[in-house]
Amino acid sequence: MMKQLTINETRCKGCNLCTMVCPYKIYQIGTTPNRRGIYVPVLHESGRCTNCRLQELYGRELCGGCALICPDQAISWIPVPQYKKSNIIIEY
Amino acid sequence: MKAQVKEDWFRQDRLPHIFCVGCGNGTVINCVVDAVYDLELDIDKTVFISGIGCSSRAPGYMATDSLHTTHGRALAFATGVKLGRPEFDVIVFTGDGDLAAIGGNHFIHACRRNIDLTVVCMNNQIYGMTGGQGSPCTPIGKLSTTTPYGANETPFDLCELAVAAGANYVARWTSYHAKELRNAVIKGIETPGLSFIEVACQCPTSFGNKNKLRQPIDHVNFFRKNAIFLQKAKKMEEERKEIPAEAVIVGEYARRSRPVIGGRI
Amino acid sequence: MSKLEFLQGNIACAKGAIAAGCTFFGGYPITPSTEVAEYMAEALPKIERGCFIQMEDEIAGIASTIGAAWTGARSMTATSGPGFSLMMENIGYAFMTETPCVIVNVQRGGPSTGQPTMAAQGDMMQARYGSHGDYAIIALCPATVQECFELTVKAFNLADQFRCPVLVMTDEIIGHMRERVIIPDSVEIIPPKPAKPTDLPFATDETEIPGFLPFGSGQRTHVTGLTHDERGYPDSADPQRHETLVTRLVHKIESKRHEIADYEIVNPDAEIIFVCYGVPVRSVQQLAAQDKTIGYLKLRIVWPFPEEVLKQFKCVSTFIVPEMNLGMISREIERHTTVPVVSAGKIGGDLHTAQELQEIANAYKATRGRT
Repeated sequence: MMKQLTINETRCKGCNLCTMVCPYKIYQIGTTPNRRGIYVPVLHESGRCTNCRLQELYGRELCGGCALICPDQAISWIPVPQYKKSNIIIEY
Repeated sequence: MKAQVKEDWFRQDRLPHIFCVGCGNGTVINCVVDAVYDLELDIDKTVFISGIGCSSRAPGYMATDSLHTTHGRALAFATGVKLGRPEFDVIVFTGDGDLAAIGGNHFIHACRRNIDLTVVCMNNQIYGMTGGQGSPCTPIGKLSTTTPYGANETPFDLCELAVAAGANYVARWTSYHAKELRNAVIKGIETPGLSFIEVACQCPTSFGNKNKLRQPIDHVNFFRKNAIFLQKAKKMEEERKEIPAEAVIVGEYARRSRPVIGGRI
Repeated sequence: MSKLEFLQGNIACAKGAIAAGCTFFGGYPITPSTEVAEYMAEALPKIERGCFIQMEDEIAGIASTIGAAWTGARSMTATSGPGFSLMMENIGYAFMTETPCVIVNVQRGGPSTGQPTMAAQGDMMQARYGSHGDYAIIALCPATVQECFELTVKAFNLADQFRCPVLVMTDEIIGHMRERVIIPDSVEIIPPKPAKPTDLPFATDETEIPGFLPFGSGQRTHVTGLTHDERGYPDSADPQRHETLVTRLVHKIESKRHEIADYEIVNPDAEIIFVCYGVPVRSVQQLAAQDKTIGYLKLRIVWPFPEEVLKQFKCVSTFIVPEMNLGMISREIERHTTVPVVSAGKIGGDLHTAQELQEIANAYKATRGRT
């Protein structure tokens, strides 16, 4: 199962600790407040995340520094449907 | 029951928690949950216990049996729970004020008895919940609401205290060293006897605000820059080099097998 | 076959606890209660899951007792005045969290260190009002060594039935006095109200008492001394929540004071009625055997105070209250009656003699004669 990095907006309090620990600088400091007035960090090219790319290959969770340091338990990886070749229709 | 996913360890209806923005306690909770999830502990046979303070609100977010007790007495309550059901894994969340000040006597005696508990102390160097008063762990010169001219008392070194009192596993990490902390909690739970894990963590609201570490990132960066490994600190001592006053010495202080009470049957 | 033994009160208390199925004792040595701990230290390791631990202070003693109670063990601690003062905060905690446990207080002369080896009943008001906030408590007062045994068993049953801490308020005289005791083969054990893991841990029905499931039974209870809701989750800022909770906690005991009440009345038609509890009962009984013009009310359970009992005395012209303090329960009686109450308090450690009580009764009769 593929996994995708997500930030739970109802839990995030905008402390930006994730922006500090990610080696790929995926988390960027948010610029617009959300409904609760919190500047939730923005994901920049989240496909570069080690865990997203390689956890399937290695069969275990990798890195995960952001999820571990997030004081608000807001960072997680949610399963996304496998990329299916048959779904792609190429039109000429 | 074993947890299927890590989130099973949290009371979903209680989150988000009451901690301030960037509070280190949240990180410590993550690391402990990660540890118990990795160890595949039984949710119904794990008990989280705490006293009073910010740190002590943590068991309320755990989907296990949990005991939020009176100020400083968490270890005494935990002793009763562990002896009543030795097969339980009992983890105590506590803070520096809770453990070192009002609960100091219970702490040294729990270490002396070496009762099979895992104690995670979130040392934010201040009384956070009551609004930022100085604690027995406030470093000299730091400001708080009750030390407006800078703390003038020497703080406790809780790890040295635990080692001297006889705990089987003693380690100190900071909220920056999340992975190491997680591993320390795993080792702590696996080690029979009292395991004491001190975590230097940030309190942006009360401590950081007064001590030029206003942003959570600033304080975590402070830990990153000032953490010195125990081995290095010992070497520096041997070489008669001065260890900087603001240094946070991290690492494993003790891992031994003194006689234990309340171990698993 | 029941057994006849010659025991001191403290040992009878401990034997009562063992008979009632107590498996945990956490305490701290204090004169004059040490024999309870000593007996438990010897007896508990011999029983299955039995555990004795000597803690670092009385606060830790009661704390470990409450902790063990949440693992489903019948648990107990024993202390005396100074230790009882230290326990106050956690007695409030046990009340707030509805933890069944038993505290034996072998009372001695106070305040402060006072008279460690002398008897008193000076902790009666502290038992009722010592912890902060509104609360209610059940306190039993044995007057004989036999009652030490019986009332300790009863204390465990009441604690489980009402889910609250229960106090056994003995004193140095009873604690150290040796008497004949009949130890039955088995005693009645009333378990706590059952519950299912799916029940909310603090949800109640019309009895106002929630069912009890210990840790490890799958209910995943959050126990907190903060004002909490039926799930056990803290909610301390809601005035309504606090009012509902504390009112229920007090009401669950106070409303059943007649069910709890345990007393004995002798010669209810007398003009002079002695109201007594604990060791002064013995002097009153001695007097009543000589002087048939007096009657007495002997309270085995002082808190919750069974005020309606006082109405049973139709011809009473005065209540005389002999107690080993300067008048604590006499004030409580004054609150509930229009009849004059004479406090016959005596401190110092010596029990009232029947002669002294006779003189107090005579003095009262004389004043009535003048009017």
